[in-house]
Amino acid sequence: MFNRLNVSMMAHALAGHASARQSAIAQNVAHADTPGYRARDLPSFADVWQASSAGAMRGTRAGHLGHTAPGAAAFAGADRSPGTQTPNGNTVSLESEMVKAAEVRQQFEMALAIASSASNIQRTALGRGK
Amino acid sequence: MSDLTKTLALSASGMQAQAQRLRHVSENIANNDTPGYRRKLTSFEAVMAPLTANPASGSSDRMELVRARDVQLDRRELPLVFDPGHPLADDSGHYSGSNVDLVVEIADAREAQRSYEANLKMFDQARQMTMSLIEQLRR
Repeated sequence: MFNRLNVSMMAHALAGHASARQSAIAQNVAHADTPGYRARDLPSFADVWQASSAGAMRGTRAGHLGHTAPGAAAFAGADRSPGTQTPNGNTVSLESEMVKAAEVRQQFEMALAIASSASNIQRTALGRGK
Repeated sequence: MSDLTKTLALSASGMQAQAQRLRHVSENIANNDTPGYRRKLTSFEAVMAPLTANPASGSSDRMELVRARDVQLDRRELPLVFDPGHPLADDSGHYSGSNVDLVVEIADAREAQRSYEANLKMFDQARQMTMSLIEQLRR
Protein backbone atom coordinates (compact mmCIF):
# COMPACT_ATOMS: atom_id res chain seq x y z
CA MET A 1 0.00 0.00 0.00
CA PHE A 2 2.75 2.40 0.90
CA ASN A 3 5.05 1.83 -2.03
CA ARG A 4 2.97 3.94 -4.39
CA LEU A 5 1.17 6.70 -2.57
CA ASN A 6 -0.66 8.68 -5.16
CA VAL A 7 -1.23 11.69 -2.97
CA SER A 8 2.45 12.14 -2.15
CA MET A 9 3.44 11.60 -5.77
CA MET A 10 0.99 14.21 -6.91
CA ALA A 11 2.14 16.67 -4.27
CA HIS A 12 5.72 16.07 -5.33
CA ALA A 13 4.84 16.65 -8.97
CA LEU A 14 2.90 19.80 -8.11
CA ALA A 15 5.82 21.25 -6.17
CA GLY A 16 8.15 20.42 -9.06
CA HIS A 17 5.82 21.98 -11.57
CA ALA A 18 5.42 25.11 -9.45
CA SER A 19 9.15 25.63 -9.15
CA ALA A 20 9.69 25.00 -12.88
CA ARG A 21 7.02 27.56 -13.68
CA GLN A 22 8.56 29.93 -11.17
CA SER A 23 11.85 29.84 -13.05
CA ALA A 24 10.07 30.49 -16.36
CA ILE A 25 8.39 33.51 -14.77
CA ALA A 26 11.70 34.73 -13.34
CA GLN A 27 13.20 34.50 -16.82
CA ASN A 28 10.36 36.58 -18.24
CA VAL A 29 10.78 39.21 -15.54
CA ALA A 30 14.53 39.35 -16.06
CA HIS A 31 13.93 39.93 -19.77
CA ALA A 32 11.24 42.56 -19.23
CA ASP A 33 13.30 45.09 -21.23
CA THR A 34 15.14 42.85 -23.71
CA PRO A 35 14.23 43.76 -27.31
CA GLY A 36 12.54 40.95 -29.22
CA TYR A 37 12.09 38.65 -26.23
CA ARG A 38 8.94 36.50 -26.28
CA ALA A 39 7.43 35.65 -22.90
CA ARG A 40 7.10 31.94 -22.22
CA ASP A 41 5.08 29.82 -19.87
CA LEU A 42 4.52 26.17 -18.92
CA PRO A 43 1.27 24.31 -19.55
CA SER A 44 -0.99 24.08 -16.51
CA PHE A 45 -0.34 21.37 -13.95
CA ALA A 46 -3.59 19.56 -14.79
CA ASP A 47 -2.50 19.13 -18.43
CA VAL A 48 0.98 17.97 -17.47
CA TRP A 49 -0.37 15.49 -14.95
CA GLN A 50 -2.90 14.08 -17.41
CA ALA A 51 -0.27 13.74 -20.09
CA SER A 52 2.20 12.02 -17.81
CA SER A 53 -0.31 9.59 -16.31
CA ALA A 54 -2.53 8.70 -19.25
CA GLY A 55 -0.37 6.32 -21.22
CA ALA A 56 2.05 8.88 -22.57
CA MET A 57 5.58 7.74 -23.31
CA ARG A 58 7.86 8.23 -20.38
CA GLY A 59 11.61 8.42 -20.24
CA THR A 60 12.98 6.04 -17.66
CA ARG A 61 16.53 7.23 -17.92
CA ALA A 62 17.94 10.72 -18.09
CA GLY A 63 19.44 10.06 -21.53
CA HIS A 64 16.12 9.28 -23.20
CA LEU A 65 14.75 11.72 -25.71
CA GLY A 66 12.20 14.04 -24.20
CA HIS A 67 13.03 12.84 -20.74
CA THR A 68 11.16 14.69 -18.03
CA ALA A 69 11.11 14.20 -14.32
CA PRO A 70 7.76 12.74 -13.25
CA GLY A 71 5.16 15.46 -13.50
CA ALA A 72 7.56 18.26 -14.29
CA ALA A 73 7.24 19.80 -17.72
CA ALA A 74 10.50 20.57 -19.45
CA PHE A 75 8.73 22.23 -22.30
CA ALA A 76 8.55 25.95 -21.93
CA GLY A 77 6.41 27.07 -24.81
CA ALA A 78 5.66 30.60 -25.85
CA ASP A 79 3.13 32.35 -23.69
CA ARG A 80 -0.27 32.05 -25.34
CA SER A 81 -2.02 34.82 -23.46
CA PRO A 82 -2.75 37.88 -25.59
CA GLY A 83 0.44 39.85 -25.19
CA THR A 84 1.05 43.50 -24.92
CA GLN A 85 3.79 43.71 -27.46
CA THR A 86 5.96 46.76 -27.17
CA PRO A 87 7.44 48.43 -30.27
CA ASN A 88 10.74 46.60 -29.73
CA GLY A 89 9.04 43.20 -29.98
CA ASN A 90 9.01 42.34 -26.29
CA THR A 91 5.88 40.56 -25.06
CA VAL A 92 6.51 40.50 -21.30
CA SER A 93 3.90 42.18 -19.14
CA LEU A 94 5.24 42.63 -15.62
CA GLU A 95 1.74 42.76 -14.16
CA SER A 96 0.62 39.41 -15.54
CA GLU A 97 3.95 37.90 -14.48
CA MET A 98 3.27 39.05 -10.93
CA VAL A 99 -0.17 37.43 -11.03
CA LYS A 100 1.38 34.19 -12.23
CA ALA A 101 4.04 34.41 -9.53
CA ALA A 102 1.34 34.66 -6.86
CA GLU A 103 -0.43 31.63 -8.37
CA VAL A 104 2.77 29.63 -8.36
CA ARG A 105 3.46 30.57 -4.78
CA GLN A 106 0.02 29.35 -3.80
CA GLN A 107 0.49 26.06 -5.67
CA PHE A 108 3.83 25.47 -4.03
CA GLU A 109 2.48 26.11 -0.52
CA MET A 110 -0.45 23.84 -1.26
CA ALA A 111 1.86 21.05 -2.39
CA LEU A 112 3.93 21.40 0.77
CA ALA A 113 0.82 21.37 2.96
CA ILE A 114 -0.48 18.24 1.24
CA ALA A 115 2.86 16.50 1.58
CA SER A 116 3.06 17.36 5.25
CA SER A 117 -0.45 16.17 6.04
CA ALA A 118 0.13 12.97 4.06
CA SER A 119 3.21 12.29 6.13
CA ASN A 120 1.23 13.03 9.30
CA ILE A 121 -1.34 10.44 8.28
CA GLN A 122 1.39 7.89 7.70
CA ARG A 123 2.88 8.68 11.07
CA THR A 124 -0.48 8.27 12.73
CA ALA A 125 -0.99 4.95 10.94
CA LEU A 126 2.33 3.81 12.34
CA GLY A 127 1.18 4.75 15.84
CA ARG A 128 3.47 7.72 16.24
CA GLY A 129 0.89 10.44 16.00
CA LYS A 130 1.83 13.71 17.56
CA MET B 1 20.78 23.19 -10.75
CA SER B 2 17.31 22.97 -9.35
CA ASP B 3 14.55 25.22 -10.57
CA LEU B 4 14.56 27.41 -7.50
CA THR B 5 18.31 27.97 -7.78
CA LYS B 6 17.81 28.75 -11.45
CA THR B 7 15.26 31.37 -10.46
CA LEU B 8 17.77 32.97 -8.13
CA ALA B 9 20.42 33.10 -10.86
CA LEU B 10 17.99 34.54 -13.41
CA SER B 11 16.70 37.24 -11.08
CA ALA B 12 20.21 38.13 -10.04
CA SER B 13 21.27 38.56 -13.68
CA GLY B 14 18.23 40.77 -14.25
CA MET B 15 19.03 42.93 -11.27
CA GLN B 16 22.64 43.28 -12.37
CA ALA B 17 21.61 44.37 -15.86
CA GLN B 18 19.12 46.90 -14.52
CA ALA B 19 21.68 48.26 -12.07
CA GLN B 20 24.11 48.79 -14.93
CA ARG B 21 21.43 50.64 -16.85
CA LEU B 22 20.77 52.82 -13.82
CA ARG B 23 24.47 53.59 -13.59
CA HIS B 24 24.54 54.75 -17.22
CA VAL B 25 21.51 56.92 -16.55
CA SER B 26 23.25 58.57 -13.63
CA GLU B 27 26.35 59.13 -15.76
CA ASN B 28 24.17 60.84 -18.34
CA ILE B 29 22.52 63.04 -15.74
CA ALA B 30 25.85 63.95 -14.17
CA ASN B 31 27.20 64.98 -17.59
CA ASN B 32 24.17 66.99 -18.54
CA ASP B 33 26.27 70.15 -18.81
CA THR B 34 29.46 68.64 -20.18
CA PRO B 35 30.23 70.17 -23.60
CA GLY B 36 30.29 67.57 -26.37
CA TYR B 37 28.92 64.72 -24.23
CA ARG B 38 26.79 62.16 -26.03
CA ARG B 39 24.24 60.30 -23.96
CA LYS B 40 24.81 56.60 -23.40
CA LEU B 41 22.12 54.14 -24.45
CA THR B 42 21.66 50.85 -22.64
CA SER B 43 20.09 47.83 -24.29
CA PHE B 44 19.79 44.24 -23.17
CA GLU B 45 20.41 40.88 -24.77
CA ALA B 46 19.83 37.27 -23.83
CA VAL B 47 22.81 35.04 -23.15
CA MET B 48 22.68 31.29 -22.73
CA ALA B 49 23.84 30.21 -19.33
CA PRO B 50 26.76 27.75 -19.37
CA LEU B 51 25.54 24.17 -19.26
CA THR B 52 25.13 22.89 -15.74
CA ALA B 53 27.29 20.07 -14.53
CA ASN B 54 24.34 17.73 -14.03
CA PRO B 55 22.50 17.13 -17.33
CA ALA B 56 20.36 14.46 -15.64
CA SER B 57 18.30 16.97 -13.69
CA GLY B 58 15.28 16.29 -15.83
CA SER B 59 13.24 19.43 -15.41
CA SER B 60 15.95 21.86 -16.40
CA ASP B 61 15.98 23.10 -19.92
CA ARG B 62 18.01 25.96 -21.28
CA MET B 63 18.19 29.09 -19.23
CA GLU B 64 18.65 32.51 -20.75
CA LEU B 65 20.32 35.03 -18.53
CA VAL B 66 20.06 38.72 -19.32
CA ARG B 67 23.01 41.02 -19.86
CA ALA B 68 23.43 44.67 -20.68
CA ARG B 69 24.86 45.16 -24.14
CA ASP B 70 27.92 47.22 -24.93
CA VAL B 71 27.26 50.89 -24.53
CA GLN B 72 26.11 52.79 -27.60
CA LEU B 73 26.24 56.52 -27.91
CA ASP B 74 23.27 58.57 -28.97
CA ARG B 75 23.96 59.72 -32.55
CA ARG B 76 21.67 62.70 -32.33
CA GLU B 77 23.15 66.05 -33.19
CA LEU B 78 24.61 68.01 -30.30
CA PRO B 79 22.77 71.27 -29.59
CA LEU B 80 24.64 74.50 -30.15
CA VAL B 81 24.76 76.71 -27.08
CA PHE B 82 25.38 80.42 -27.45
CA ASP B 83 27.91 81.64 -24.88
CA PRO B 84 30.65 83.93 -26.27
CA GLY B 85 32.51 83.89 -22.96
CA HIS B 86 32.89 80.10 -22.91
CA PRO B 87 36.47 78.88 -23.47
CA LEU B 88 35.25 76.36 -26.08
CA ALA B 89 33.15 78.87 -28.02
CA ASP B 90 33.99 79.29 -31.71
CA ASP B 91 34.11 82.54 -33.67
CA SER B 92 30.31 82.90 -33.73
CA GLY B 93 30.13 82.46 -29.94
CA HIS B 94 28.63 78.94 -30.02
CA TYR B 95 29.84 75.65 -28.52
CA SER B 96 28.24 72.22 -28.72
CA GLY B 97 26.55 71.09 -25.53
CA SER B 98 25.44 67.59 -24.57
CA ASN B 99 22.45 65.81 -26.07
CA VAL B 100 21.18 64.58 -22.69
CA ASP B 101 17.49 65.16 -22.08
CA LEU B 102 16.83 65.13 -18.34
CA VAL B 103 13.18 64.16 -18.69
CA VAL B 104 14.07 61.12 -20.79
CA GLU B 105 16.74 60.13 -18.29
CA ILE B 106 14.36 60.34 -15.35
CA ALA B 107 11.80 58.23 -17.22
CA ASP B 108 14.51 55.69 -18.01
CA ALA B 109 15.58 55.62 -14.36
CA ARG B 110 12.00 54.98 -13.27
CA GLU B 111 11.67 52.11 -15.72
CA ALA B 112 14.94 50.60 -14.54
CA GLN B 113 13.78 50.88 -10.93
CA ARG B 114 10.49 49.21 -11.72
CA SER B 115 12.17 46.29 -13.46
CA TYR B 116 14.73 46.00 -10.69
CA GLU B 117 12.02 45.75 -8.07
CA ALA B 118 10.16 43.11 -10.07
CA ASN B 119 13.35 41.04 -10.23
CA LEU B 120 13.91 41.54 -6.53
CA LYS B 121 10.39 40.33 -5.82
CA MET B 122 10.95 37.15 -7.82
CA PHE B 123 14.26 36.60 -6.04
CA ASP B 124 12.61 37.00 -2.66
CA GLN B 125 9.78 34.69 -3.57
CA ALA B 126 12.17 31.95 -4.68
CA ARG B 127 14.08 32.40 -1.45
CA GLN B 128 10.94 32.11 0.64
CA MET B 129 9.85 29.00 -1.27
CA THR B 130 13.23 27.41 -0.61
CA MET B 131 12.96 28.31 3.06
CA SER B 132 9.52 26.76 3.42
CA LEU B 133 10.77 23.63 1.68
CA ILE B 134 13.64 23.38 4.13
CA GLU B 135 11.27 24.04 6.99
CA GLN B 136 9.27 21.05 5.76
CA LEU B 137 12.34 18.84 5.92
CA ARG B 138 13.18 19.95 9.42
CA ARG B 139 9.97 18.61 10.93
